[in-house]
Amino acid sequence: MNLSFFDQFASPCFLGIPLILLSMLFPALLFPAPNSRWITNRLSTLQLWSLHSITKHLMTPLNKKGHKWALILTSLMMLLLTTNLLGLLPYTFTPTTQLSMNMALAFPLWLATLLTGLRNQPSISLGHLLPEGTPTPLIPALIMIETTSLLIRPLALGVRLTANLTAGHLLIQLISTAITTLLPIMPTVSILTMSILLLLTILEVAVAMIQAYVFVLLLSLYLQENI
Amino acid sequence: VLHTSRPLHTTQQCLAPLPPLPEKGGEVRYGLIPEEFFQFLYPKTGVTGPYMLGTGLLLYFLSKEIYVINHETVAAACILSVIIYGVKKYGSDVAAFADKLNEEKVAKVLAVKNEAIKDLETAIEQEKKEQWRVEGRNYLFDAKRNNIAMLLETNYRERLLTVYNEVKKRLDYQVAMQNLKHQKEQDHMIHWVEKNVVQSITPQQQKESIAKCILDLKALSKSARAAV
Repeated sequence: MNLSFFDQFASPCFLGIPLILLSMLFPALLFPAPNSRWITNRLSTLQLWSLHSITKHLMTPLNKKGHKWALILTSLMMLLLTTNLLGLLPYTFTPTTQLSMNMALAFPLWLATLLTGLRNQPSISLGHLLPEGTPTPLIPALIMIETTSLLIRPLALGVRLTANLTAGHLLIQLISTAITTLLPIMPTVSILTMSILLLLTILEVAVAMIQAYVFVLLLSLYLQENI
Repeated sequence: VLHTSRPLHTTQQCLAPLPPLPEKGGEVRYGLIPEEFFQFLYPKTGVTGPYMLGTGLLLYFLSKEIYVINHETVAAACILSVIIYGVKKYGSDVAAFADKLNEEKVAKVLAVKNEAIKDLETAIEQEKKEQWRVEGRNYLFDAKRNNIAMLLETNYRERLLTVYNEVKKRLDYQVAMQNLKHQKEQDHMIHWVEKNVVQSITPQQQKESIAKCILDLKALSKSARAAV
């Protein structure tokens, strides 16, 4: 089968059945269920430790009301981490490269933080639009700027994740194609490019984890302001 | 889906006693293929059987172009090498970390148990000490009794001495009074006798006695001169 560069970003379909839901739910199968044993095997222990660690770090800056968000933020983090990391394997489809999915994650969560803020403490939420200590003549302009920055947040969240992952995957594809084409012609250059690809792969692994973390962190920051 | 619906089960699913779960997972060769597969093929094909099967399958897929070598192959090689490098380098550390987490969990509970045991042992020792103390109680009471008796005795003797001193003081007073009276009577009598004697000396007697004294003195002086 001849792959073009963008086949990996096509939403998978098999015999006309869209497999997007399956590809989004697949990572959940990789985690062993919470065990009824007290001392579990290594995988369960590590999974439990990482979940505790993530939840603790996310919830420390939030007040008690923010702790209601613990489940959704932690599961979002695990989803993004696993889908990003699994997408680095060959011939896999990464759901987070689809802008539709990322916007579907970012927009409702951001809107939830915004509406929570506006509902419970409207003046404080609106007060965030003006940073402290601004000179008086600048106030109208600054409020416009801050409102724009506020409204662009979901777009930024979604597009950041999509762009990072899509760009990374595309780069891997392009450089691999270069290696494959150069191999019969100039093997040395091909080997050098392979070393670049190795470095790029390590970068992509890091980016996958960092992007997931950044997404969830920003959401928790928006929550801190508004809860 | 099986795992997500597990919390919905509110009762045990099976009342029979379940067999115990194995402690470690199955043995795997090259991280992917279970050891049982090699054992399964061993009687028929020996040690190299599974490897031949793998190589044959791979070459079949490649030669028939069922698997096409394209850019993904290169990407696959890269990501697999990164993964294998990571696992080889950090695998044992991660396993040790997971084991340490479990060890800490067990150690915490063991510490509680050991502390309870230690507390009970100290309680037993203290109880034994108390029992030993009870045995020596008699000596303690005897000593205390002796102490008190000595104190009482001392007190009694002190008071006796006080009484003696007081009585002696009173008797001494009486004796002194009697002596004084006696002495006063004597003095008075002597004084009276002297007064009377002095009164009774008439002037004539006085003259006679003085003349006699002079004669005596002369006689004495004579004898004294003679002696010298």
